[in-house]
Amino acid sequence: MIAQRAGTTALRRLAGHPNAFFTANVAKFGVAKPLSTSQARPGVQTEKISNSEAASLLAAQRLRRPVSPHLAIYDKGQTWFGNSILTRFTGGVLSGSLYAFAAAYLAAPYLGWHLESASLVAAFGALPVAAKVGLKTLAAWPFAFHVVSGTRYLIYDLGIGFARKTVIKTEWYILGTSIVGALGLVLFL
Amino acid sequence: MAALRSSASRLVVGAASRPTLRPVAAAAARGMATVSDDKPRLKTFQIYRWNPETPTEKPRMQSYTLDLNKTGPMVLDALIRIKNEQDPTLTFRRSCREGICGSCAMNINGTNTLACLCRIPKDDGADMKIYPLPHTYVVKDLVPDLTHFYKQYKSIKPYLQRDTPAPDGKEYRQTREDRKKLDGLYECILCACCSTSCPSYWWNSEEYLGPAILLQSYRWLVDSRDEKTAERKDALNNSMSLYRCHTILNCTRTCPKGLNPGKAISEIKKSMAF
Amino acid sequence: MASIARSSLLRQVAAARPASSPSLIANAARAAAFHTTAKRSLLPPLPQKIEGTVNDAARVPPPSPSHGSYHWTFDRLVAASLVPLTVAPFAAGSLNPTLDALLCATILIHSHTGFQNIIVDYVPQYRTPRARKALIWGLNAATAIVGLALYEFETNDVGVTEAIKRVWKA
Repeated sequence: MIAQRAGTTALRRLAGHPNAFFTANVAKFGVAKPLSTSQARPGVQTEKISNSEAASLLAAQRLRRPVSPHLAIYDKGQTWFGNSILTRFTGGVLSGSLYAFAAAYLAAPYLGWHLESASLVAAFGALPVAAKVGLKTLAAWPFAFHVVSGTRYLIYDLGIGFARKTVIKTEWYILGTSIVGALGLVLFL
Repeated sequence: MAALRSSASRLVVGAASRPTLRPVAAAAARGMATVSDDKPRLKTFQIYRWNPETPTEKPRMQSYTLDLNKTGPMVLDALIRIKNEQDPTLTFRRSCREGICGSCAMNINGTNTLACLCRIPKDDGADMKIYPLPHTYVVKDLVPDLTHFYKQYKSIKPYLQRDTPAPDGKEYRQTREDRKKLDGLYECILCACCSTSCPSYWWNSEEYLGPAILLQSYRWLVDSRDEKTAERKDALNNSMSLYRCHTILNCTRTCPKGLNPGKAISEIKKSMAF
Repeated sequence: MASIARSSLLRQVAAARPASSPSLIANAARAAAFHTTAKRSLLPPLPQKIEGTVNDAARVPPPSPSHGSYHWTFDRLVAASLVPLTVAPFAAGSLNPTLDALLCATILIHSHTGFQNIIVDYVPQYRTPRARKALIWGLNAATAIVGLALYEFETNDVGVTEAIKRVWKA
């Protein structure tokens, strides 16, 4: 029906700007011979090539093909800000800081740094309140998000909660819970 | 259609001249449900273009504006109209126009879907952006090369494998419950919307099978008539084929047939866990 | 009959010469270069190469459960055991040294497999085998160092949960 509609649309358009070719053509085809569905292409030459030649031609064409855009055009909520990548990102930040701190702790005696807990507590206690809250939030939100989202992934692994609506809804629940959880950790602990 | 036919035959019989074309136009206009005399509702479509004849030219976005009053409701209608009326060089795949062949899978406004099942949003002023399936090699314009995808499909042996003949020598029987397990799996049309929505598949399509193929794999794993379940599981039991799935679930969110590849993959992982 | 009318009409459209169409010229002017891909992306995809013919199946890797199902199951068990271990210090205020050491070890394994997954995802073996090997061994070394550091911290200092608690309350 779509092809039909396209055809009639074209017909209307051509009816608005009729040309001799069009009218003559319909009459000629109608009278002379039944219409074939193949398209005549005058001036196009074809050449026969072997299978292996065709394969190498195709291989050469493949090498020139571009890759269609992906991260740049796909729904950002499912890629850049999707739950999965945020879980990986927050996990990476938490584990990365653990690795960095642990390596620094091991190197501290040789470098003259003081990273034992007592001096850390003293240093952190000396910070202004705004800096304290800021630093705590920077640590608390990734932690809360990773815990909540990670738990949901464990539930996914049991085969639960895959309905499309549930998937979308829980994304928002997780974001909400992680923010509330982070605020709770910062303000009430 | 009768109107068109009679006018056409009149054309053939009578001397073909310009005035005789008028009734055809009128009949065609009457036959079209979408035509109305309202003021035009214009919509711009930005479409990804790349031509293999000029491979050094970079892919670009080309804009086409259509009057929605004269266009069918679906994105595929708009594409066909653009190709017919504005630019015959625009290239895309299409066949059934009713979501059963999977040819017109493409990225429309940021998510993968079938153009024939995707309505053109009527009332927003925003342009529609149409790209080929993400992270695929482009043959031309909106046509991606799915060769590797089909080769991966072949690698999971998507057919019934049995050694023992049926007990009654006739057909392989199945209980209603066993048959029910295949619902939501056999309907997959392999349009590749899910696989090309999956970031894991973007980065590792050489080795990772992707949601569509894994859903198909699960379809044969749960089939009670298939006897090669262990071999099928062995073929998936490595770091790449199955376990690059991190339950991102773009597949489940994008499937134009409403299937759930994410769930199917999770069931495979569960069945292989211990 | 209807199909006859249709095919001739469509042929008419196909025969239209694109270069002479005014709408095409207008459209050509409206075409914009595609700018959304980054100019220098990290590890851009290689030119397309297909192994074998269209009718050959893709290669199936040999089974290796230690990188497949065992690895996955172990990962989930570690992650699942982290749930009670994480909740416990909040409930109890802080942990006794044994549980604290257990928490540290579990977090270390969890971090290690997490980083491993990131490397496996983004540094493909078939494409950059040397970078992959270097990163995996670099990660192993880093994890060993962190394990040693956590042992030091647990034995010579107050323990991880207690330290975090003190900093948080400071």
